[in-house]
Formats: sequence, C-alpha cells, structure tokens
Amino acid sequence: MTSMKMDDKWDWDSPQCRAQLDEVFFRQHDYIQAGSQDHKDFWAFFERFQRFKAKKEMSGSKDNKYDDPKCSKSRKSGSLDLGLPKEYDARYKINISVCTKDVEEKMEGCGYRRQTQSGPGKQEITDCRLALLHFLDFSQKQSFNKLAKLRHEQRSLPIFHYRDKIVELVKAHSVVVVAGDTGCGKSTQVPQYLLSSGFTNIACTQPRRIACISLAKRVSFESLNQFGSKVGYQIRFETTRTLATKLLFLTEGLLLRQIQQDPLLSQYQVLIVDEVHERHLHCDFLLGVLRALVGVRPDLRLVLMSATINIKLFSEYFRGAPVLQVPGRLFPIQVIYQPIPPEEQASRSEKLDPRPYLRVLQGIDQRYPTEERGDLLLFLSGVAEISTVLEACQTYATHTQRWIVLPLHSTLSLAQQDKVFDIAPPGVRKCIISTNIAETSVTIDGVRFVVDSGKVKEMSFDPKAKMQRLQEFWISRASSEQRKGRAGRTGPGVCYRLYAESDYDAFAPYPVPEIHRVALDSLVLQMKSMGLGDPGSFSFIDPPPASSIQTAVTYLREQGALDVSGELTTIGSLLAQLPVDVVIGKMLVLGSLFNLVEPVLTIAAALSVQSPFLRSAQHNPDCATARQPLHSNQGDPFTLLNTFNAWVQAKGERGGGSRKWCRRRGLEEQRLYEMVNLRRQFKELLRSHGLLEEGSGGAVTPEERRRRRDRLTERQQLHQLKRQHDLQEGARRKVLRLEEGGQGDSSGSDDDNASQGTGKGKKTEGQNLDIQEVKFKLRHNVDQLQEVASASQDLSSRRQALLKLLLCRGLYPQLALPDEHNATRKDSEQIFHTRNKQGVVIHPTSVFASDPEVLHVPEQEDGQPGAGKGQSGRHQLLAFVTLLETNKPYVSNCVRVPALQLLLLVSNCVDSNGDCTRLVVDGWLELCLSDGERTLGVVSTALELRAEWERLLQAQLCKRRPSARDLQHLSDRLVRFLLYTEVNYTIRRLTALQSQNLYVGPQSDPTTSDAQALKTIFPGWDPQPDPIKGGLRVSSYFTYNCLSDPSDLYSECLRTFWTCPHCALYMPFTPLERMQHQASCKPPEEQPAQEESESETAAPSSSSSLSRLYHCDICDKDLTLTSTEILKHKRQHAVAS
Amino acid sequence: MEASAGGTVRGMFTCELCGLATPFTYFGQKPPNTRAIVLLEESYVLKDPFSHDREKFIVLGSSCTVCHKVVCVGTECSLFYTKRFCLPCVRENLDQFPQQIQAELAKKKSAPLHTDPAKR
Repeated sequence: MTSMKMDDKWDWDSPQCRAQLDEVFFRQHDYIQAGSQDHKDFWAFFERFQRFKAKKEMSGSKDNKYDDPKCSKSRKSGSLDLGLPKEYDARYKINISVCTKDVEEKMEGCGYRRQTQSGPGKQEITDCRLALLHFLDFSQKQSFNKLAKLRHEQRSLPIFHYRDKIVELVKAHSVVVVAGDTGCGKSTQVPQYLLSSGFTNIACTQPRRIACISLAKRVSFESLNQFGSKVGYQIRFETTRTLATKLLFLTEGLLLRQIQQDPLLSQYQVLIVDEVHERHLHCDFLLGVLRALVGVRPDLRLVLMSATINIKLFSEYFRGAPVLQVPGRLFPIQVIYQPIPPEEQASRSEKLDPRPYLRVLQGIDQRYPTEERGDLLLFLSGVAEISTVLEACQTYATHTQRWIVLPLHSTLSLAQQDKVFDIAPPGVRKCIISTNIAETSVTIDGVRFVVDSGKVKEMSFDPKAKMQRLQEFWISRASSEQRKGRAGRTGPGVCYRLYAESDYDAFAPYPVPEIHRVALDSLVLQMKSMGLGDPGSFSFIDPPPASSIQTAVTYLREQGALDVSGELTTIGSLLAQLPVDVVIGKMLVLGSLFNLVEPVLTIAAALSVQSPFLRSAQHNPDCATARQPLHSNQGDPFTLLNTFNAWVQAKGERGGGSRKWCRRRGLEEQRLYEMVNLRRQFKELLRSHGLLEEGSGGAVTPEERRRRRDRLTERQQLHQLKRQHDLQEGARRKVLRLEEGGQGDSSGSDDDNASQGTGKGKKTEGQNLDIQEVKFKLRHNVDQLQEVASASQDLSSRRQALLKLLLCRGLYPQLALPDEHNATRKDSEQIFHTRNKQGVVIHPTSVFASDPEVLHVPEQEDGQPGAGKGQSGRHQLLAFVTLLETNKPYVSNCVRVPALQLLLLVSNCVDSNGDCTRLVVDGWLELCLSDGERTLGVVSTALELRAEWERLLQAQLCKRRPSARDLQHLSDRLVRFLLYTEVNYTIRRLTALQSQNLYVGPQSDPTTSDAQALKTIFPGWDPQPDPIKGGLRVSSYFTYNCLSDPSDLYSECLRTFWTCPHCALYMPFTPLERMQHQASCKPPEEQPAQEESESETAAPSSSSSLSRLYHCDICDKDLTLTSTEILKHKRQHAVAS
Repeated sequence: MEASAGGTVRGMFTCELCGLATPFTYFGQKPPNTRAIVLLEESYVLKDPFSHDREKFIVLGSSCTVCHKVVCVGTECSLFYTKRFCLPCVRENLDQFPQQIQAELAKKKSAPLHTDPAKR
C-alpha cells in the first residue's frame, strides 16, 4: 500500500496533508502531541516505515499468504488450541491499539473533507495508524530495553550479592562499615538498597562536590527517578533538594554546617559517610561528631563506606562496628618495577630527567600493536615536573604520530582538563600526565597503562613560620595501589613503577591524614561554635598534635575570634558561620559596617576561589596587553575586583560574549561564576545575621514593575533553555586531533576560528549554548550586579583607601616588611620578611612581582638632611592572603599599605619608649621616629579612632546599626589618618635577640605623675602600670614607656624650654609634660578642630594654623614653623656643619 | 517537581523467568492520560522514568495466556502474538505459531547474543 496508489492529490510529504492526519492522531491531549519531539520522531519513522513496506512488497509478499494457514493447521494433537489467527500479520505482534473512532466518525459525518479532495481517506488513516502502532511498539521496546539493561548492570555489580546482608546489618546495628574496592558499586548501590528497603531521609556525604552531583544524577536515573526529586544533591551553591527528597548527596563540609544548625540532625534517619579512608579534615571531624551523636540518637543509622584500607581503625573507633567487605571489580594488572638509574635521578635543584618516562612510551610502542587500544596515565608530583616530561613526550609524539600528550592538573583551565576525557583517533594513544588529581578525584576510562613516579607533593603546615608548605614526598603503599588500580578499570592493564620493590615495601602504609598536615584554625573555630568544649580533648579518630591545636587557638585569639579564656567572641561566633578563612570572614564583617559591602563581597569571594588568571596565559603577549587595564598597583585584590567588575560589564554589553572576553584575557570564566555565586552566598549570610540592611522595600515604580515582568519572561525562557540542555546532556565525547596534544593552549587565541578552519564543525547548536551563562542569568539579577559593579568600579581614592584599610585589618597579622635594600636589588630579587619567616618573595602572579618599585620608599625623601638615614613617611607594608613555600616561600594576593598608620590602627601590641621616638609593634617591627611629640599625637588619634571603630563595630554586631553620621565621620577620619599622617620614621625587623630584651620590666615605683599626664593626653583612657612589660598600659594594645632604651636612658627626664602657643607659658618640659599641657590648654573654640588637626597636619602650607612652635637645639631659638619649614631649618644646620 | 515523577508506585513487578524487578505504577489496559491508546492485554505499566512527559509509559509485562506466569516483555522471556505467551509456552506450542514467529525464535536460539543486547 504505497502512496503511489492513492489519489494523486494526496501527498505524504506535504505538510498540509500531514497536518490533517495530525488532527486525527496527534491532538492536544493525545499520547503524542503535534509539535513534540515524539511527533517529529514519528514522521521520520513513518518515512522509514513506508520505504520498508515498499521494499518488502516488491520482494514478493505473496508467499506469506500461502504459508501461514498451512503451518497453523499442523497442530500437534492433544495440545491446547491457542486460538491464533490463521493468517500472519506483523500487527498481531503489537500489544497496543489506537482508537480514533470518534474523530473519524466526526469527519465522515461532515463529509465536506472528502470533497476537498485533499482530505485523508480511509486508506490514509489506516496507513498512518499502522505506522503509529509500529512506532509505539518500537519506542516501547527502546524504553524497556533501557530499563532492562539498567537492571542487568545493577545486578552484575559485585555488591549486588550483599544487598540483603547490608540492609540486615543496617537494621540491626547503629553503625556499619562497608568496605569495598574500586568498581564494586558501593557509592551508587548502598544508598539505593537502603532507600528501597524502606529507609528514608538518607544523607550520603562525599568529599568532593562534583561527586555529589554525578552520584545524585546516576542514582536518580538508576532508581527511576530521573525527573523527580526523590534523589537530590546539595553543595555550596546548588541544590536540587525538595520536600520530596528522600536521599541527599552532600559534601562533608555542608553536613557539618547542618550540624551547627541542628545538633541532633533530626532531619536524617540514615547517614552514609563515603570515602572515609581518604581521611579529609572534614571527614575526620565529622566522624568524631557523629560518634557522639550515635550515642544520643539510637534511632540514627550510620554507614561508613571505605576502600579496603585500614578498616579496623574505623570499626574500632565505633566500638567494634560490624564490617562488611565486598570484593572490587578490577581486571588483573601486571606490575613492572623499573627503578630510575642513579645517573638519571634529579638532584634537588635540577629539573626532572624525562628519559625514564620516555622509555616507557617507547616500550609500549614496541610491545603492543597499535590496534590494541589503551591509554597511558602517568603520575608525577607537580606542575613543573609535568611540563618537563610533557615537553619530552611531545617531541616523541610528534615524531612517532602515535601519541596525544595531555597534561592534567588543577591549575589548568577546565576546558583543558576536560580534554583528557576525549577519545584518541584509531592508532593513537592518549598519554595523560597528571598530578595525584587522577588518583581519586578524576577517573578516566580506557586507561591500560599506568606509570607511577612514586612521588606526590603535599601541603603541610609549618606552625613555627605560620606558613603552608608544598613538599615532595614518597607516596604511601595505599596510594601506590590506588594508582595501579587505574590501569585495570576497563580491562587487564600494566603498571610501571619507577622505583624498586624494596622502595615500595619501605613506603608508609597509608597517606598522612589531612588533620595532621594542615592549619586547624577553621576546625577549632567550628568546634568552638558547636560547643564541643576543649578542642584538645576531643576524641578524634587520629588526634592531631596538641601543638597544632594550640597554634590554632593562639591564632584565633590574635584574630579576635576567641577571647583570653578561649571562648568565642561575638565576632568569632559570626566568623564560625562563614564558610571561609577567618581573615576573609573578618573582611566581610568589617565591610558590612561601612558602606563598602559590595566591593568587599567581591574581594572576599575572589580570594576564596582559585585565581581566574590562567598561569599559562601569563606569557602570552596578547593576554598581557588585554589584562593590563585590569591591573591595580594597589594590590592583587584590587586587580581581582577590577576584573570581576569588568566581567560583569562585559556580560551586560555583549550578552553571552563574556566567554570570548575571558579567553582574550586568559581568564577561566568558571572561577568568575564561582565568585558571583559565592558573593551572593556571603551577602545572604551577612543579611541573615542582620549585618546588612534589607533591600529597599519602598514603593514599586511602574518602571520597576515593567522590569520585573521582563525579567520573569526572561527567566521562563532561560528555564526552558536549561531544561533543553539537561536533556541533551551526556552528548558523545569528541575525538581528539593529533595536534591537540601538548601545551597547545587555547587560551588567548581565538579558538573559534581555529576549529572553523579545520572544518570539523564539532560544535552543534546545543553545545554552543553557554549553560553557565544561562545558570548565571537564572541565579542573578544582571542589572543589579551591573549597578553594583559600576559603583565599585570607580572608587574615589578615599573610598579605595578605606577599602584597603578594611582588607588589611582583615588580613592582619599577615604582614610582610620589604627588605631595606630592595631598592638596590633586581626586580626578581626583592625580598620581604614576615614576623615568623625571613626572606619571603612575592609570587610571580602578583602585580608587585612585575612592579616592585611602588613598594620602595621614594628616593627624594630618603636621606634628607636631618631626617636621618632611612627616615621617611612613605614606608609601606604588604598585607598578604597566603604564604606558601614551594621551592621558595611565596606570598600571594598582596596589598600595599602605609606602614605606621596601619600598624597603629590594627596591630595587637604597640609599645613605646618614654618620648615616643621608638615604637615596637607586635614584638617584631621597630619604628624609630624623629619627632616624638608628633608621634604621641598620632598615637592618641589612633587610639581614639580605634575606640570609635570598635564601638560602632560592636553595635553593628549586636544588631544596633550605628548612625550613618557616625559612620561617615569615622570613615572620613580613618581615611585622613591613613593618607595624610605625616611622620618621618625608619622601620626594621628586630632580630630574635633584640625582641627578647625589649622591655624594662615591672617597675617598683610606677611614676604616677606620668599616669596623670597620660590621662590628659589620652582622654577617656585609664593608664595602669603594666605588670610584665613595665611602663603604663594605656589600652589593651598600647603600652607607654615600657621599652628599654639602652641608648637613651634618660630621655624622658630631659626637659627642654618650650612656649605654649596658646597661653604663651615658657618653661622647661619633658615631652610628656608638654603634651599634657597642650592637651589641657586648648582654646575652647578650637577644640573640635584641634582633634582633627593632629592627623591633618599634612599639607605643607604657610597657613598659620599648621605652624607650630619649634625649638631648635642648635641655634637655641623658639620658632613658629610648619613641619616642612622645620625640615628646611634643620637642613640649614646640616649644610652649615 | 514531584508531580512530574508521575504516578504512585502500586507495587513491585517481578518477572518470574528472568527475575527483572521494578516498581509498577498501573495495572490494566488503559494507562492514565493516554487518550486514544488502549493496551490489548492487562499489563503491568510503569510511568516512563526516562521521559520528562508524565503521560509516557512503559509496558513491563503481563501474564502468560497459557501458564499465567507473570513475565516481562523482554524478547528472552515472552512474545506477544494477539496474546502474551511466555517463551517456554511458545516452545511447547511452537507448531501453532506462524512460520515468521518460528523463524524469529530459531534465529534467536542460534545467536542469542545479538538479538537483545540488554540481556547479555
């Protein structure tokens, strides 16, 4: 029955004809609706079906008719009559029918359609129905097969045989350990077993966010709930959790945060902690917390899942919890030990010798025919090692045309990381050169060969230097086995170990748990906020050394998060809620006080994610030029702020062109997306803690109403796009090109053109959709973001100064002092000193690495006569976010800031000598000032400013928002203090010996007159003798006259003649007496102005208000001069002598 | 969201031959929201979990007309020819089936691995 026989007006290909049939079969409420994907599929199927039928008819369909009756006749006697039709018809094989009688009757009733000649006749309808039946049958088979395949795969997992046992154990015991090796299916199956056996409200933790997403996806698919929300995930910025969610995958950190809110975790019935053997900090802590919780909540079920490593440890920690061990599913792997010969072993300073690695590649080429597929995964310790070996392998690959060499480490762009999953063309193998990221975090299928260098770079924390350290170590036997296992995931494999078997035997059995390696600040803070008592006595599975806990407690105390007795302060309990480093949390809190919250939010977010600046693009001149306008020589956080703001603008202007914008500048856009998400989370946190005013409620303007409506429409479209994207996901992997290997870096170059050139057209419409952009627009109000960005793009220099002060107060005590000889050193040899570590350098990615001059003291001021050597008012410090030692100790994310001013405003301990010509800050920075009297004034202003700042901050923290006027006044004064304080001084780092003998010590007879004098100078303070240092303690951080001053023992007793400018009193004064007199002798009408002039004596002008009385010792005269004039005067004497 | 997950689970469907076990959401000949579609046998039906549409369904299986065993629709377990027959019953009564069916079964026996990749 082909269309040929039909009325020649009927044309199956005509859209009108099809539309008429659509009215019969694909109406609005039908199973398949016109316009849907199924509908499109049907018509495509229909064409194939017609062709098939035509073909069959041509090749003699007559036979059938004769055969069928014959064969159904010859029925065995005595057997049951099945009542089957005599004639075979394929339609009998379909268990579905489609009833459209109602429509058909209606059409016939009308009758008009037949006269139009173009309407479908009975035959057309029959043909269409038959095709539809076959189509339905076909799609039924497809779906059923998908389901059957899924069930089959589940049943063939090793863990499937333990299904009942697991459920039984969990029902009977509150804690169960399930130990199984790679490939046994525990992560996907155990939650499902529990779910289907009636448990509900199950949480399953994962160490990595990405695993939460992929597991939730997989498990919801497997449990046939792909489009529901029974299975969900929750990570930092994203959740698919709803009230219907019964099984939730979440990160360990997030579960800990939930415990902070809900100590009994009453929302969960079962907790599964996966990958416990990885021994992450959060996981170890979580186990400790859960161990206590199990005692309080006997109904709670806890399942620990681990590789088959050190299982006893976990079982014993939970009082002998039962262990269920499941075999893994790995193919056999041949291990070949190939120790590196001594002449090829790199000494510490040399580059790695790539020859042993090359030999493995050559060996594979010789031994295994290219038709036998299988890729190579090579484990090295770090990025430098990777690029050395990569270069050598690349040369070999270009020569042989048999390898595509790809690097894999976390500082690569995500697009580059993603390449390792692409497929090599036939006859070519991938050689992936990776850090230990491929050991657990990234799983690549198709690996047959593994090369293990046996080395790993691991972060450790040096509490003495307060420094993180990235050092190379031998791996553990457990890691070594894990690396080996990567060769046997998809078939038998080979593992080349570039060390001797005896080395292997000497390896530690397990890696050092993170809790023994890292700074515990955040952990201790969290423990405090969870009310877990003394962190030192908490029963960890493997307790960290007491000294690291002590270091953390001290640090938190220095940061003001803990008070002297070790209890949380107000700000401390707030910091514990923020999922960031303490220093960054402090910035956020400080930023919320002044009207600077938007830029602070951006900076805090930027400092909490990996840098968006790709390292590989740094040497690309085009990128460097494009990045130039983003750079700020104030410091890296300002560069990040500029970058973020410019990106937000670029997003608005070009709508979707931000991807290209980023590529031009060598930026990883993903990081910017993370920033914008994190920023929003911070904002919500600040708001929920009452630190931010609620968005202006006010009346809604028609303009605003229109915008909201537009936005709603846009959101609906975006949701549609996202749904489409989600459906298309799982698109097939790309095939790599030979030239794609190596360091070939797409960043900076226009990749789009490149791929067009090869004419591969690999980007389909679906892939071209920037899903990140869609998510971004769904989550954020772009207009608002742009307003915010443009507002913080052009900060006035005063706002910028205040912002800098906030950042530095946050970062304190992470400060570094430039070495005094830096001005005479090469750019690459600039060194800095921190309190605990001498000779640190600036990380090459920092703006100061390329522009160190801005940190030098301007030359014209240096060596001014009378100002003494090194005297200047322009000394600067670097505040930094991280100090990390790799081959050198590097500081990164630095801000420069005026030294004296910052120290007086933020440091915890300022000590002075009697005439205030010498200050020692935090026991390690010594400032020698030329003008003690002036200094005393500056200190007094600083004390006042700090007190006011603290008062307003405390009010803010107690949710009594200070008045805008007070805040404005304070911020004006802080800025003036920071920018316009003019005092000349030298600054240096004290040696260890010097800092030991700083203080005069307690004095038997404290000078009460001094105390009286100080009270006048520092109104509102009550100086008390300091019992340890000696001198007088004016405030918690300032102690006067406690420094022992061997060179000038009697300075504070020396009186000089002085005339008061107000009352003209002329008599000898000690500096302190003079200050006291000045403070009490202010003419009443001048008082408010006076207070500020102390910090404002900056602008050198001849105006009399800035002049003051100066007594010159050389000519023994009292002169009324401005500070500049004093300097000039001093210079005269210097020149004369 | 949960609404799109479709019908409530009515029970477990388990194939008595291959052991395939999965929940079903409807039993009968007229799955919900399918309008013109009618099933020609009383079937265990599951809302299609792989489709976003709430109306889409999968027929999981039904009872063999001869032995009344509950079997899945997989080609290794049963076939439909005007009625549902489990394969053992088909073999038993093979002579009553048209030659096309017999040929199909014979083909399957000779190369079972290629007929249904899902059942390997």
